[in-house]
Amino acid sequence: MLPLGLSKKNNSFYDMDQTRFSRLETPLFEESNNLTALQICRNRMGIAIFAFLIIYVFISVRIIMVCLPHGIKITFPEEAYAVHASSIKSTISRADIVDRNGSILATSLPTVNLYANPKKIQNPKDAAEKLSFIFPDLNYDDIYAKLTKKKSVFSMIKHDLSPAQQAEVNALGIPALEFQTSEKRVYLHNNLFAHVLGYTNIDNVGQAGIEKSMHQRLTESSKPLELTIDMGIQDTVREELLKAVEKYKAIGAAAILMDVNTGEIISLVSLPDYNPNIKIPLDDKKLFNFITQAAYEPGSVFKTFNTALGLESGKVKITDKFDATKPIVIQKRTIRDDHAKNAWLSVSEILTYSSNIGSVKIAEKVGKEGQINFLKNLGFLEKVANFEISERARPLFQNEKNWAPITVATVSYGHGISVSPLHIITAFSALVNGGIYHTPTLIKSDTPKVSRRVLSEHTSEQMRVMLRDVVLYGTGRKAEVPGYEVGGKTGTANKATNGSYAQSRVTNSFISTFPTSNPKYALLVVIDEPQGIKETWNLRTAGMNVVPTSGKIIASVAPQLGLKANFDINTQKAHIKAIQ
Amino acid sequence: MINTKTALTALWFTLTCFVIFACFILKNQVHNLEHELAKINQNIASDVQNIHVLKAEWGVLNSPERLKKLASEHMSLNKIRAEQIINYSALPFENESSAIAFASNEGRDLKKMVKTER
Repeated sequence: MLPLGLSKKNNSFYDMDQTRFSRLETPLFEESNNLTALQICRNRMGIAIFAFLIIYVFISVRIIMVCLPHGIKITFPEEAYAVHASSIKSTISRADIVDRNGSILATSLPTVNLYANPKKIQNPKDAAEKLSFIFPDLNYDDIYAKLTKKKSVFSMIKHDLSPAQQAEVNALGIPALEFQTSEKRVYLHNNLFAHVLGYTNIDNVGQAGIEKSMHQRLTESSKPLELTIDMGIQDTVREELLKAVEKYKAIGAAAILMDVNTGEIISLVSLPDYNPNIKIPLDDKKLFNFITQAAYEPGSVFKTFNTALGLESGKVKITDKFDATKPIVIQKRTIRDDHAKNAWLSVSEILTYSSNIGSVKIAEKVGKEGQINFLKNLGFLEKVANFEISERARPLFQNEKNWAPITVATVSYGHGISVSPLHIITAFSALVNGGIYHTPTLIKSDTPKVSRRVLSEHTSEQMRVMLRDVVLYGTGRKAEVPGYEVGGKTGTANKATNGSYAQSRVTNSFISTFPTSNPKYALLVVIDEPQGIKETWNLRTAGMNVVPTSGKIIASVAPQLGLKANFDINTQKAHIKAIQ
Repeated sequence: MINTKTALTALWFTLTCFVIFACFILKNQVHNLEHELAKINQNIASDVQNIHVLKAEWGVLNSPERLKKLASEHMSLNKIRAEQIINYSALPFENESSAIAFASNEGRDLKKMVKTER
């Protein structure tokens, strides 16, 4: 059926309309008085149409705006992706610390903290009772006090809840108890890296070691921080040191292994150590990092630097001989030899037999100025610069004015100056690697750290030969590891107590490098107050304890480092025959 | 004339209604997709966190102390010693030189070479 007025036959709908308009219009046009009224009418209609048009346009635009998902804001794909990526960012804010092979050493795990809003609490007694039941380590009175804290909307009850504890607290259904997501720093290998990594406090702020010095880096970027330490080697070194401490009844021990050509530290162990996962009091001696914090008199180890000083100054030649037949007296103090040979000794022999008298004579030949400048150049007279562990010892020595002839003499054999093991190994690396001082580092980086030449290549080469002699014929014989050409120098230093040296308390050191023909690594082992045992004929000199310990460390660490043993072919053949 | 005008108005009206409806449908779909995206993102975030925890666990399982214990329990391996690594030329291949001589016409020269190299 067609609607009314649209039929072809009967279009009276339009007709009717037209007649109506004509009826209306005709009288108006006829009366000229009404002309202005008509115009006003038209104008008003025009305004009304215009107004409605605007309203309709506004409504249309508004409808479209409402219908579009984000109004009329257009999001570009890149922007959308950025929004997407940021929404899936990990909730962990502190970056992991990994070793040189990418094994995780320290990480942060998500946890929850429990806090209360004391204003919302209805029955604090009941809540405290239930909470003390869930957390046996918390006291009822403490919880009650926290729940009834006046004028407070936030009262922390417990950090780092386990998922089971969280579920139990949730099940209590107390609206005043709320959870806060948090993270807890976890050290996966407990004591193993204690003195390298340090630890963080309850608010995840680094308090020692790498955690403290690299705090900003760890919180700014989520990329893992890669160290130069090797986990396997660190474990081997620590194991050997623990054995040594037990065997020689020492109060402590420390070892540091360094790549002599880059300054990278492969292993750093200081005993006693602590478990950074457990909070320990700040005055605990275990927190003391012997490698970086101890300023100790190194003893005969220092003769290595004295010999290098002599050769580098040009005032001493390797062929020179020195009279070590009788003790020398300087400023009323007598200097003797521990392993007296009572003979004229060559430069090499002075080092091999660790002659104090010979060392003093070398130092005297060079003089005060030369000695101070050389030590300054090797970094002995200031804190080790730019190192990543901020707890570092300031070396102790006489100021330049008081650097008397006796100081020149005692410093030559490592007394009257206190430095940290880190100082010694860094300078020693420069001594054997061809004369380049590399700033020690714990952070793996593509850009090498600052390095400078401190010694001529020729002196370095001579030093290597002499250090090898010490292990082959001198005090370091027990450190010999067939195939790895170990070279080094021992040091037994009596500890200074109340202004005099105690005979029974010694700090023994052995600084070594391997292989001496082309040095790759330097190792410094220190044992603090070792005791004489039956096996060592009750002797406590370095050669008896720290030297064999170093030998053991080198023997087990060198194959792990991928160093090829350099054997004489005939020795190898004999060895194979023995097996067959 | 009027017919065309009315038809045009009707067309515009229909088109506007259609566009409004299409916009509404689109908005609805986008809304659903956004909801889905948020859910996926949430899952990814939780997976990332789980992977993080699993990595930490893997780190603990790989600790040298544990590996040492396992190795001593299940394998008869010891630490490698320096003298266990030897040069190839030190190995006693009894028949090596005769085999080379047999294979080559210039056997004598090769034999000499092998000897000198050793």
